[in-house]
Amino acid sequence: MVKAIDNRWWLAAAVAGFAALPWGLGIYHQHVLIVSLFYVMMTASWNLLAGYTGQVSFGHAAFAGIGAYASGILATKVGLNPWLGVGAGTLAAAVFGFLLGVLCLKMGGIYLSLTTLGFSEILHIIINNEYEITRGTMGLQVPGLIAEYSKLAYFYIFLAGAIITLAVVHRLIHANIGLNFRAVQNDERAAAALGVDVVRVRVLAFTVSSALAGMAGALYGHYLLLITPQIPSLDQQFLVLSMTVIGGLGSFAGPVIGAFGLEILSEYIRAYGEYHVLAFGLVALIVARFAPRGLVGVWKQFMDRRRPAA
Amino acid sequence: MALLEGRRLSKRFGGVQALTEVDFAVEAGAIVGLIGPNGAGKTTLFNIVAGALPPGEGQVVFDGWPITGKPAFRICRRGIARTFQVTRPFGEMTCLENVAVAIVNRRPDLGRAAWGPMAMEYLEAVGLGALAETAAKHLNVIQKKRLEIARALATEPKLLMLDEVLGGLNTQEIQEAVGFIRDLRDTRGLTVFWIEHVMGAIMQAAEKVIVLDQGRVLMVGTPKAVVADERVISAYLGT
Ligand SMILES: Nc1ncnc2c1ncn2[C@@H]1O[C@H](COP(=O)(O)OP(=O)(O)OP(=O)(O)O)[C@@H](O)[C@H]1O
Ligand SMILES: [Mg+2]
Repeated sequence: MVKAIDNRWWLAAAVAGFAALPWGLGIYHQHVLIVSLFYVMMTASWNLLAGYTGQVSFGHAAFAGIGAYASGILATKVGLNPWLGVGAGTLAAAVFGFLLGVLCLKMGGIYLSLTTLGFSEILHIIINNEYEITRGTMGLQVPGLIAEYSKLAYFYIFLAGAIITLAVVHRLIHANIGLNFRAVQNDERAAAALGVDVVRVRVLAFTVSSALAGMAGALYGHYLLLITPQIPSLDQQFLVLSMTVIGGLGSFAGPVIGAFGLEILSEYIRAYGEYHVLAFGLVALIVARFAPRGLVGVWKQFMDRRRPAA
Repeated sequence: MALLEGRRLSKRFGGVQALTEVDFAVEAGAIVGLIGPNGAGKTTLFNIVAGALPPGEGQVVFDGWPITGKPAFRICRRGIARTFQVTRPFGEMTCLENVAVAIVNRRPDLGRAAWGPMAMEYLEAVGLGALAETAAKHLNVIQKKRLEIARALATEPKLLMLDEVLGGLNTQEIQEAVGFIRDLRDTRGLTVFWIEHVMGAIMQAAEKVIVLDQGRVLMVGTPKAVVADERVISAYLGT
């Protein structure tokens, strides 16, 4: 108990320290932090699905796109308040996630990967062709979340979004449903034999994960003020995947570390061309093969070695 | 009265006819043995009853309910628990969490503070108390089989289906295990359907034995009658 309280203080101190960070930074670095926080939302929610239930969705960026475009279109066509738009975008992603989940999760893991990949492509085609509504590759100009544009304000909005995302993930994995997630990931036949409704557990994880991606995407769109097909692109998808895998799939801290690490790194290597996503993908492949628990796993192993078990 | 009944069950895997028109009954409160040479179709029969495999032809009735083709988790929640011959632990989870999965799907209202001690009781019952916090992948084969039993019991079933849980045990341990299973029946009123190659155990524990051979019921009778039967002896020697 004492230890739990201790941890909470550490966490509060870390968050407070982080919250003070942008005050000492210029606009460019504030931007990098905001984008990093967007990726924290994306990786943490993707990890909920891939890391804790073992289902690989290639549609996470697509769901972010649904959130962004739903909110953006509602704002431009109906004049909906962007904050309500973020809610609507989250809901839209949840509904799509639920329907897609019900459609394909009965058939098992690999079908989710294939279906979400297809879904991604279809969404891409729709966005490019429905120029009147989406403005295609030109991008859709949307209003911001706050009247007066301020990077600092956006930083705190994104920080709140990341904390909400992490809190939802934390709650779920530590509740009974988290046991079911892991049971399904470890052995779905054994789980079913013990009374776990495997399909329901998967659909739930997929719906929540997609909804959180929708929220992240909606916020991101209203930050960039221009929504382009870059948000729901496969590039983006593989970046999120690489961040999570390199940081540590199936661990709580891994996606956060991966998101910050790779976003900051990509700012440095962007000068060498747009191949960094490809490079990250290759690194992620190597990590998945030799250190499936990512940087967090390597760190834990290192600490365990230093303190040999009693 | 029969708690579990199979009527004309048939199952084919491609070219292999694993079960052919199998009729059987497991009486409430009984320990019923299921024996037969390797490949006779015993595990297949369990898989169909438990909903782990799509059924071929025929019907399974449990406690008055037709359960043929129902999903495994529903059959479990109706009161049938099974162990896997080739154990299927949740390797990355602790033994305690392995058992907890069975508890929380029966009692979703329980939090960790409540299911922790309950799960511990099931682990202690099978002698795994000391390994509660160990990841299941680190257990040896015998311990994994015990974990299978603990998890199955934690679903609080009416019918417990055991698939070769005694493999690897010595005579002394087999005696203890038989005592344990009989005790479950006597004190908890559990019905037991038990596949076992260790004939001595079935001889001691079961009231009735069903013999399968090449997917057909070869004979049904008391353990004594079964081991004395020539067809049974030649079926075993023939393989
Ligand atoms: N899922 C499956 N797919 C294909 N064939 C299978 C499958 N399960 C079982 N079989 C085949 O069905 C037959 C019966 O197998 P089963 O496992 O039921 O036998 P068993 O009586 O349990 O044998 P053992 O005593 O060796 O465990 C075998 O020929 C086996 O190869
Ligand atoms: Mg078998």
